[in-house]
Amino acid sequence: MTYVRSRNRRLAGTFLLPTAAVLFLTTIYPMLYALWLSLRNYDLAKPFIPRIFVGLKNYREVLTSDAFLHSLVVTFKLMAVTLSVQFVLGVGMAILVTQRLPGMAFIRTLLLIPMMISPVIVGLVWLFLYFPELGYLNYFLSMVGLNPIPWITSTQWALTAIAIADIWQWTPFIMMGTAAALQSLSPEPYEAARIDGNSTIDVFLHVTLPQLKPVLISLMFLRAIDAFKIYDIIFVLTKGGPADATETIALYIYRQSFTFWRMGVGAAASFVSLIVISVLITLFFRSMQKSAASR
Amino acid sequence: MTKLSLRQSVVTYLLIGILLVIFMIPIYLIVASSLKPAAEMFSRPPAIFFTPTLQHYVDLFTLRPFHRNLINSLIVTLGSTAFSVFFGTLGAYALARIRHPRIADVAFWILSMRMFPPIAVVVPYYIIFKALGLLDTPLALIVVYSTANVPLTVWLMKGFFDEIPEALEEAAQVDGYGVAEIFWRITLPLAAPGLAVSAVFCFIFSWNEFLFALMLTGSNTQTATVAVMSFWSSDAVQWGRIMAGSFIILIPGVVFVLTCQRWLVKGLTLGSVK
Repeated sequence: MTYVRSRNRRLAGTFLLPTAAVLFLTTIYPMLYALWLSLRNYDLAKPFIPRIFVGLKNYREVLTSDAFLHSLVVTFKLMAVTLSVQFVLGVGMAILVTQRLPGMAFIRTLLLIPMMISPVIVGLVWLFLYFPELGYLNYFLSMVGLNPIPWITSTQWALTAIAIADIWQWTPFIMMGTAAALQSLSPEPYEAARIDGNSTIDVFLHVTLPQLKPVLISLMFLRAIDAFKIYDIIFVLTKGGPADATETIALYIYRQSFTFWRMGVGAAASFVSLIVISVLITLFFRSMQKSAASR
Repeated sequence: MTKLSLRQSVVTYLLIGILLVIFMIPIYLIVASSLKPAAEMFSRPPAIFFTPTLQHYVDLFTLRPFHRNLINSLIVTLGSTAFSVFFGTLGAYALARIRHPRIADVAFWILSMRMFPPIAVVVPYYIIFKALGLLDTPLALIVVYSTANVPLTVWLMKGFFDEIPEALEEAAQVDGYGVAEIFWRITLPLAAPGLAVSAVFCFIFSWNEFLFALMLTGSNTQTATVAVMSFWSSDAVQWGRIMAGSFIILIPGVVFVLTCQRWLVKGLTLGSVK
């Protein structure tokens, strides 16, 4: 029987070949092509310049350019703000929507809707809200006595405007993941803690939170990976502007490649961003394996 | 979780009420603005009671060829979903059955392909498709979307195959079935919910996607998300039309949330939350 089993497994293993071929053609080949491009002088706007091999010149240019370093700072700033707000708000919401009260299942469902909306449409509806002079957000602020804010037209506020739209879309994700984890917690430690006479806040901090930790870490990395790639909402709201206030890495690559048509430089920046994201992905996998092992 | 006292329940409902208002306002605005006459689009205070008009929807299909955009989106979405579910499922089955100490790494590695920033491969794809004459064809987007959809399907389906006992397959083998037949007749039907979940995620991803669609389509293949964005032009912003188009685009996602919520956690957290 063990012989049969291992033979079956080998045969089943051949099922991997078509998938591997598809992944090679659709993902690995374009990435290798990007690597090749990044080592070349590939300027679509200047076709008369030969597309010669230039070694690491593009990388040197990217890594020493203020614009690229600025885009890294913007990306991580945005990531820090959105992630921290999404976490505090998301965990808080998860606690609220997992209370045993009538109507909660439906409320949970409603709150999940933003996640499933195309980011372009999220961008457009927030553009509608932020719109200079006309948008409703400043009108709502004026009702509570606040001055209008130049959301997307000032370098000071544009990044906040983008963060708000992202927080609106993705806080439900943290809520959903945390709520699912909360509902699967075993009740015993709670009873013990309560018998010991601890307050609700103590129980949450010392009993619930440690149990949620692995899940929260996984969720955080998933959000970090996505935050690193953020593109669509910014494209709609500010296109990286005003000036370069909201130019994240993705927008930097876009501008180099499709505004200046400097494909080599764009590809080099892409590779640098791939390396950064690989670190995040590896950390995510580690956290996932750890939480799987502790289960 | 213990039962809340009356006061706690009231506070909970109050907080949730506030959250619901905040989170639902943008969605309400999409629906309401798509039905508002242009003159009342930004009226102060916002017109809650207005005479709804379907004019923006009519414009969408008469002044603009939005039906063509929707058909383009549907072709690309269904094409990529079918392609990805087919190839992803095969790979997932192999990964679930091969016993090798490093197979988990292979699975992670495949999943990681989904997480790479799309912008990083837009440039090579643009150049490759330009050289092949495939820019502005549905095939370009079908291929590109599979870079995200195949790894996701592999990952999700592997989870489903892992839970099907091998003894079941061996029993079928005793009855004289071959490996392919067992996969097709025994294992795959048992993993049918996984196929549905994977297909839905591939569908939503492709349907909502914007960046690749913007770069790789042209007048023949413009998808719905790109079309809605194009209604935005600095001289005459057609908010009614933008919102009407947005509403149509968000329908599949909302239907998904309302009908298969329990799969949402698994798919979006990639199984890191059970």
